[in-house]
Amino acid sequence: MTSAMRAPTLGWRQAWRFARRDLTRALRGLRLLLACLFLGTMALAAIGTLTGAIERELAGRGQAMLGGDIEASLYARDPAPDELAALKALGEVSGGARLQAMAVPLRDDSLAVPVELKAVDRAWPLYGKLTLQGGKPAAAPTGTTAWIAPGVADRLGIAPGDRFKLGAATLTAGGIIADEPDRLGEGFTLGPVVIVSREALALSELVQPGSMVRSKTRVRLPPGADASTAVASLKERFPEAGWELRDRSRATPGLERFVGRMGQFLVLVALAALAIAGIGIGNGVTSWLEGRRASIATLKVLGATSSDIVRIFGMQVALAALAGIAAGLIAGVLVTPLVGIALGALLPVAPGFVVDPPALVIAAAYGLLIAAIFAAPPLLRARDFPAMALMRARVSPLTLRWRALALPVGGGLAVLVALVLATAVQPLLSGGFLAGAAVLFGLLAGLGWGLRWIAARLPRPKRPLLRIALANLHRPGAQTGALVTALGFGLASFVLLAGVQTSLDANIASRVPQQAPDYFVLDLPPAKAASFTATVKAAAPSARVRTVPAMRGAILAYGPADKMIRVSELEAIPDGAWPLRGERGLTFSEGVPDGNVITAGKWWPENYTGPPLVSIDEDLAEAIDLKLGDRLTIGLLGVERSATIASFRRIDWDSMGFNYVLVFSPNAISDAPHSLAATISLDGPADKRALLAGLVRGFPATSVIEIGPVVSRARDILGQMGNAILAAASVAILAGLAVLIGAIAAARASRLYDNVILRVLGASRGQLLGLQLAEYGLLALILGTVALGLGSAAAWLVIVQLFEFEWLPDWSRILGVLGLGVATVLGFALAGSLPLLRARPAQALRDL
Amino acid sequence: MSSPTIAAPIIAARGLTLRFGEDEAAVEVLRGIDLEVGAGETVALLGPSGSGKSSLMAVLSGLERASSGTLTIAGEDFARLSEDALARARRGRIGVVLQAFHLLPTMTALENVATPLELAGEARDATARAAAELTAVGLGHRLNHYPAQLSGGEQQRVAIARATVIAPAILFADEPTGNLDGATGGQIMDLLFSRAAQTGATLVVITHDPALATRCARVIELADGRIIADRAQ
Repeated sequence: MTSAMRAPTLGWRQAWRFARRDLTRALRGLRLLLACLFLGTMALAAIGTLTGAIERELAGRGQAMLGGDIEASLYARDPAPDELAALKALGEVSGGARLQAMAVPLRDDSLAVPVELKAVDRAWPLYGKLTLQGGKPAAAPTGTTAWIAPGVADRLGIAPGDRFKLGAATLTAGGIIADEPDRLGEGFTLGPVVIVSREALALSELVQPGSMVRSKTRVRLPPGADASTAVASLKERFPEAGWELRDRSRATPGLERFVGRMGQFLVLVALAALAIAGIGIGNGVTSWLEGRRASIATLKVLGATSSDIVRIFGMQVALAALAGIAAGLIAGVLVTPLVGIALGALLPVAPGFVVDPPALVIAAAYGLLIAAIFAAPPLLRARDFPAMALMRARVSPLTLRWRALALPVGGGLAVLVALVLATAVQPLLSGGFLAGAAVLFGLLAGLGWGLRWIAARLPRPKRPLLRIALANLHRPGAQTGALVTALGFGLASFVLLAGVQTSLDANIASRVPQQAPDYFVLDLPPAKAASFTATVKAAAPSARVRTVPAMRGAILAYGPADKMIRVSELEAIPDGAWPLRGERGLTFSEGVPDGNVITAGKWWPENYTGPPLVSIDEDLAEAIDLKLGDRLTIGLLGVERSATIASFRRIDWDSMGFNYVLVFSPNAISDAPHSLAATISLDGPADKRALLAGLVRGFPATSVIEIGPVVSRARDILGQMGNAILAAASVAILAGLAVLIGAIAAARASRLYDNVILRVLGASRGQLLGLQLAEYGLLALILGTVALGLGSAAAWLVIVQLFEFEWLPDWSRILGVLGLGVATVLGFALAGSLPLLRARPAQALRDL
Repeated sequence: MSSPTIAAPIIAARGLTLRFGEDEAAVEVLRGIDLEVGAGETVALLGPSGSGKSSLMAVLSGLERASSGTLTIAGEDFARLSEDALARARRGRIGVVLQAFHLLPTMTALENVATPLELAGEARDATARAAAELTAVGLGHRLNHYPAQLSGGEQQRVAIARATVIAPAILFADEPTGNLDGATGGQIMDLLFSRAAQTGATLVVITHDPALATRCARVIELADGRIIADRAQ
């Protein structure tokens, strides 16, 4: 008797003894929790590992990818002597240039291929090694030797030793490039590369005043020197140089941003999967504990306290959770190479098997948090199972003490939100996602409550089976809430996926090819505009040619005239203000450019001669809070020019035509040296080979970009993005299905009771099946409608807000997918009912 | 009807009521029970179904809290205790044997019997004491069998061993032979009475079988939530 007060609560070791005895059965009973955590953690681990591997690869190879520790990039000019001297003072320097050009084989001048010309000096490459096909290492080309990309060799039909023309120069293909060390750092290119010496570039005579040429000067710093400090001092010393300075830590900023954002998006999709899995975890633990009611009550009869119950069963849940998470982490590492293959050319590197501890720790932390948040309510409810339950067949549902949930659920949610935001590339997007998920949960929970409320108040149907089907929705212990959440999420995911996929398809398939021109032509001398059009028309009579003046400059300052903001003094570029980064294309125009719409202000009149004016993209205006009447200063070929903001425009970026963020009134900048840029839309039969050959002969200094390959590459990228979304979202769908199965299984106990009684009373199996169909059909119908609304809204957000595409859903496909989802739900529900129908009433009655 | 006054009762109840539900839907299961039971007594709670005998046992054993009234069990004021405090108070004081055995299906017979000792913090010699108790109920050869591997009679023997292993002051048995055939039921009752006598426990047996009730020294009859008869035999 004296021992009674000696042990107010079981110690952890004692609790573990109890937990261990039940373990095999616990793991079997907690299969839903295991499956849900496995799926969610696997997705997070795979995505985290992949993103981490790519980011580390980008960071680790920064010097080689950038081609130096620092790169200074300038449009249309080499560094000025004082700028070059400053660069040389930092370390060894290598200079070069990039421009678009046309390569023509010497033996057949009717063939021309647009290429990216990369001129380098003898110091190139400062880091890394150029390798030619056959594994032969090579240094920078000299004289008229050129290293050519495989694409150039294929399209020109030339081999090493063959000669070809670039502008006025005749070059010899010295070898075919196998590995170009700074390829990734060069960014998105518009054609296969040809690497030549600077002498060869001069011989080509392609660089003319106003040419779209960019110089790139790289510096190799002495060991131990800090690149970012050096860049900062260069910016400070030459604030108006207009150069784009990068250091090795940001060798591929665009790529890093893309990988970071894509990774972030996929993490959010995986988190959605884990959130859905959380419902499954909650349901799984609830039904598992329901099955343990007798054991819990017996333990209480024998003297176990509610804390003992939480410890014993909490340990089992924790162990099952850890097993699911561990399996998920292992699977995540194993599937990473497969995800890498699925994403294909989207990724700069193809990761093999990578074990990335930080990514795995974060994935495990998410798994544990979700498990804690969703398993805590049923566990806390179980501690209140009364011992008396052994003496009464059914005990009314237990109410949850909300205060007890504050720490595990409230605290867990707070840590989860903090973790999501702390690891977010775009905290705003992630915050929005979390808020959206919370709203969705709230809506579905409200809907579940509402359905129960309405079902309880509807007039009772006369037909007994319908009456029971309706009663099943609202009676004590009904699974309506869990089913509504699981089905709602599951079906909304179906609609979301279908909406995203069909919109992406429509954007890719229908819009781009219809509107994109066939060629872009750069560096066309204004005086040759008429003969250019004539040359095009000769080869393609129905072609449409559009030309605009083209020059490049950087935005240096903006804002009200009396307090303008210097871009060089900004600590960070505001979100959405990408045109502030480095130099951008500029133009001037008498009229509003095609496809543009004035959203505020007025366009200048023809032959305008007043103060210089500029029209600005409305998105940029919003991003940096520009007002009509504000001033804008640009650096144009080393000269500062200012204009007053006269209007804002909406630009149709999808048109792939000439779209300029800044369009000036002609009197503002037309006196600056410039060339023309042209688009050619063939719009009918054309001899493309003759067209390109004619352009090379007539306009050797121009650069032609073929849109077809660019569009098809963009299409590939979008397709692969779609694959990535599909892969991540299918995990969410699988989790949704697991949840659905779990909810149906959880509802089975009460169904068994009803079915047995109904069978005893003479109901046929067909009638019982009809009962299940009526109940789940009613739920699926209501939820299908709700899911259509919620899923479509989410898909719209993804397409319009995240990817900035047009909302072009294919409703017939979406409804088809939704119908499939509803059919799947009914299929699972009926399949789940079959064991109930097979139960023998006599035996089941004894067990009730 | 009031029960005879006992000098040092191990169970002392005054005005016990038990009510489920609220307002119009409320059901009063116990309606003012006054009862005293002395240490070492054997008491039968007799009555038809729905008379409140199981509910009375639940309240007396601390499985249910009375809606009103006072209750002292082995010197502890049960009426003031919370659910968890009642669980702790049961340890070492009260053993319960139920009609449907309610063994823990994932534990062996030995583990089932050791459980109340372990819960009371007496884990060190729990296994040895549990084995001795099982041997005492004639199941020394079934120590490592799971409930599903035991017959109904054997399962109830394990349940009795589990109830008596803590040497309880009071042993409650709710229809302990209800799930067994006559012969096995008789053996179980013999065992229950002999173990109660050996451990010196007060035995309270719930039954609706008058023949079984005659084995007890005292019979308390209930009807409609009230004690209608309380007689010594």
